[in-house]
Amino acid sequence: MKKKLLCFMATLALGALLLSGCGSKNDDNTFVVGFDAEYPPYGYMDDNGEYTGFDLELAEAVCELEGWTLVKQPIVWDNKDNELNSGSIDCIWNGFTIDGREDDYAWSVPYVDNSQVIVVSKESGITSFDDLSGKIVGVQAASAALSVLEDEEQQKALADTFGKLQEFADYNTAFAELQIGSIDAIAMDIGVAKYQIESRGDDAFIILDEHLNSEKYGIGFALDNTQLRDTINEDLQKLKEDGTFDALAEKYGLSDMTCLE
Amino acid sequence: MAFSVMLTELTQGFLITISIFALTLLFSMPLGFIVAFGRMSKNRVICGITQFYISVMRGTPLMLQLMVVFFFPGYVLHIPTGNGWRFPAIILGFTINYAAYFAEIYRSGIEAIPKGQYEAAKLLGYSKSQTFMKIVLPQVFKIILPAVTNEVITLVKDTSLAYTLSVIEMFSVAKQVAAAQTTMIPFAVAALFYYVFNLLVSFVMNRLEKKMGYY
Repeated sequence: MKKKLLCFMATLALGALLLSGCGSKNDDNTFVVGFDAEYPPYGYMDDNGEYTGFDLELAEAVCELEGWTLVKQPIVWDNKDNELNSGSIDCIWNGFTIDGREDDYAWSVPYVDNSQVIVVSKESGITSFDDLSGKIVGVQAASAALSVLEDEEQQKALADTFGKLQEFADYNTAFAELQIGSIDAIAMDIGVAKYQIESRGDDAFIILDEHLNSEKYGIGFALDNTQLRDTINEDLQKLKEDGTFDALAEKYGLSDMTCLE
Repeated sequence: MAFSVMLTELTQGFLITISIFALTLLFSMPLGFIVAFGRMSKNRVICGITQFYISVMRGTPLMLQLMVVFFFPGYVLHIPTGNGWRFPAIILGFTINYAAYFAEIYRSGIEAIPKGQYEAAKLLGYSKSQTFMKIVLPQVFKIILPAVTNEVITLVKDTSLAYTLSVIEMFSVAKQVAAAQTTMIPFAVAALFYYVFNLLVSFVMNRLEKKMGYY
């Protein structure tokens, strides 16, 4: 009897899921935001186990304006294009760098001005780009920092002086390796770098004064989805005017980095 | 984050882990029988197809298979799958993969029964289906149990691959908590969860083996 019941429940559960999977596209009232849940302060799991962050709270504010329900969908960063093109998410909203990807997405207005920087441990004695020669530098796979380092017109020459460019799936692992000394430096976004260093609570790490480049964050939509993009752009403007945007920026310590006019 | 919150989050992820585990077993174990019969079929076409199926399932990484199942409808067939396809895709991917392994385990059990038993059963007046259900199958269960236990335990650990499709099971939760809290503790806790659950699985399978030691 128990077995039958379990069997029945399982079938029911799968059936319901299959049906929900059939309802093509994410409908008018839900807004599915794809984000990397391991990317504080833009999107991460807070102390209560809820997904939050600057970008997600901003998305929430947009949904309130539009009367939509927000679905926060964590994604594997490497799969972001597949997720967007297959329609499993409506946009990528997560400290998403525009520079170098201008033609690949329908972009919102840029709202954060971000730089790519190098983080090193204080003890290492590395203080400038020149000191990085022969060192092992970590970087997130498919990240903006990586494309800067691989671009001939940007910092490819610098990257060529490194001993090795080591790719990581997430920054937590990269920092753990920096801590135990298996890598010498990490190339990453300044906002994320600040969060990481601050939350690790000690002065073990520093950000080099030289920056790899300066770049802007936007929200990425599928190329044919300009309509949704335009709606979000208008909403961002409204949120800037009523002060919500600046309040959120301050909450997440990003005030001196925003660039929404 | 308080330790209790971390535990709650991991437990919630663990429920997803268990659903993947249970649903995969539920669907792949019967499907494995069908595949096993196809593999042993005298019909060359059926035998060839199942042989090819098994070789693909065993010869490519499960992680890759999961991505194919998830992205194939949207990319190749242009059927928009939406956000709800994630979990069913995981179950489907795991099921077709594990069915291939189970099929070979079943086959090893069925083919281990000596021919003499079939002949004896025939002399005693058993029909073919009676012979299989009443004489062969009970012995097969006994023979394959250790191999099945292996596979079931592997499945518990393989569920962590669901993170590829962003199904937030326990390992994904551990990664996210670790990232936000900048600590490695969640991984240690997750390891303990997996280990204890597998202890339980081994215990149950051991009991089952003892129960079947009737001759």
